[in-house]
Amino acid sequence: MSESSVTKPAPVRRKLSAGPLSTGDKWFFRTTSIAANFAFVLVAFILIFLFIQALPALTSQGLPFVYGTEWNNQQDPIVMQIGPMIWGSLLIGAIGVVFATPLAVSLAYLIVFMLPSRLAKVATTLVDLLAALPSVIIGLWGLFVFSPVASEWGAILNKYLGWVPIFQVKSADNGFGGSPFIAGWIVAIMIVPIITSITREVFSQLDRDLINGALALGGSRFSTFRRVIFPTSAGAVVGGVLLGLGRALGETVAIFYVLQITFNINWGQILEPNGGAVASMILSKFGEATQEEVSGLIAAGLVLFILTLGINFIASIIVNRAQPWRKN
Amino acid sequence: MSFAPRPAVQPWARVNTGRRIQILLASIVPILLTAAVILVTGLDRNVALMGVFLPLQLIAASAVGFRAFGRRGVGDAALIVFVVFFATFVLVLLASVVFSLVSQGAQAMSWGFFTQNNRYVSNTTSLEYGGVGHAIIGTLLVVGLTTVVTVPLGIAMAIYLTQSQSKTKGIIRTLTQAISGLPSVVAGLFILSIAITLDWQKSGFLGSMALLPLMLPTIARVAEEALRLVPVDLRYAALALGAPNYRAFFQVILPAAKSGLVTAILLGVARIIGETAPLILTVPINNGTSWNLFSGEIMTLPAYVYNYLGSAFVPSQNRAWGGALVLMILVAILFGATRILSRSKSLKSKPTKEKASK
Repeated sequence: MSESSVTKPAPVRRKLSAGPLSTGDKWFFRTTSIAANFAFVLVAFILIFLFIQALPALTSQGLPFVYGTEWNNQQDPIVMQIGPMIWGSLLIGAIGVVFATPLAVSLAYLIVFMLPSRLAKVATTLVDLLAALPSVIIGLWGLFVFSPVASEWGAILNKYLGWVPIFQVKSADNGFGGSPFIAGWIVAIMIVPIITSITREVFSQLDRDLINGALALGGSRFSTFRRVIFPTSAGAVVGGVLLGLGRALGETVAIFYVLQITFNINWGQILEPNGGAVASMILSKFGEATQEEVSGLIAAGLVLFILTLGINFIASIIVNRAQPWRKN
Repeated sequence: MSFAPRPAVQPWARVNTGRRIQILLASIVPILLTAAVILVTGLDRNVALMGVFLPLQLIAASAVGFRAFGRRGVGDAALIVFVVFFATFVLVLLASVVFSLVSQGAQAMSWGFFTQNNRYVSNTTSLEYGGVGHAIIGTLLVVGLTTVVTVPLGIAMAIYLTQSQSKTKGIIRTLTQAISGLPSVVAGLFILSIAITLDWQKSGFLGSMALLPLMLPTIARVAEEALRLVPVDLRYAALALGAPNYRAFFQVILPAAKSGLVTAILLGVARIIGETAPLILTVPINNGTSWNLFSGEIMTLPAYVYNYLGSAFVPSQNRAWGGALVLMILVAILFGATRILSRSKSLKSKPTKEKASK
């Protein structure tokens, strides 16, 4: 070692940085982050533009827009109120969720815990196929095939369980078509896949040792389900059900064909051919809408958007919290 | 009940041949009895299903369960009966949709139905004339434009969610999930209100834009899953060799995740190809063939079905069924392609994993 090397100045300490170093990387991350932040922009744009176009209707109608029960474009100050539609959407969503949840949880249980893996794959594919059916096809089938059958179900329910308030009708002569009951079934068929897929994922991620332990302690299939599987997965299932509810509220075309939309509020006579749904109402009014009415319909869309966005947001938080293995 | 010691049976071997026969009987007898009740009393089929079949099936299954496992078997039997009953119910509904589509739509199927447009077709024209040719072209154009715009955006989003270290990832993921629940009619109204605000004419282009928010979350989510499946060691190895992030992505991760990303695109297309409400709100329809997305009328398959569905005339209803069958065939093709892709992916992924572990 020569002396000159000692006097040589120490190399400049390299700067440590966690950020991208090269120009290429900077552009790579910049582009992707712009794309990702497009999600914010999209939601903001939807809110802003809907609001701009809804403003004339909202200012002219005031607060009764949300709870009033009349839509009349013949009067001079035009009356547009969507109370029965909002209530109808919630009612149909609730009916759909009540029908869909047992079906979906059963399917998920069957796929994860009962079927051999090859059959389970087939069943999963079938459920995915059900999810892929476009809603206009469900509407077509609902109108020509399902409605007649479901009206029969409605008639039977009314005949044997007519003493229960929700199964009462004013007059059986109106028939049982076009009721929230049928629309609820249609919605249930459309949300079964989403609830199934979330429930299935949670079931398949459950700790197998936990289940085997319960079985080894003498538990049966049923007690294992009640004491082990159900408590650990209930949270995610609730999230899935909420996601399904959000889907149900936004369902448009399929409900449009099977529901008799009226502006009389239907508090819970689910077999009465009288119901409402915000999304389907927008579609049904849009064809002959005047300029003022279009503004009213956009306002209805804004209400629907805020409603579904809220439900979906809560649902995704619940689902994410209940599936810690999806984190990072 | 005696306290005599039970014979030394193996508890895990209780489902033996005798038990199998009992289970078989328990499955068949309720069906036969229900059929007999329907034939003899003329009871409504729906009532018989819920009022006779289900209770009988429950009793029969519980009896077999009780004989095999004692009291614990009863709960099991009930659970199995309900699960199978509900799952079969969903299967029957799905089968009914597919069956009625195929049987009703088959009437309309002919070569002309795929290739002709509806220019000289009235409500009562027989099915030999006219078809969905113009609607197929319109759907391909509208969905194609959406795909071209959305795919880079969605995949870039997925890259951001998997490759960067940013802190806003959680919010963006939640937001994307929330957008995936956006009602399709609201997407249509959104584009409509932009068009009104900026005074644009309705056209196929607006329809494409209305489909974008519906397609984006699907692509972003599935692409994210696909990128996540690539072992993170591969990326670290590339970075440790001195590759910048973008080269690590394009040369290492992208080739490994290729089939997953194609699946994401196919699922995204399948998600929007049948969307009806946004197109009805933003795209004017016609009966002739149009290749122009940016002005004038253009027909799409969902709008075609929607248009003829409300008709009171039987030939028009049959056109709706035919159009729906064509739409379903398109969805089925996309769907089948994703299945084939995912199968080939799972075959290929094994050797790559082994390589990675070496």
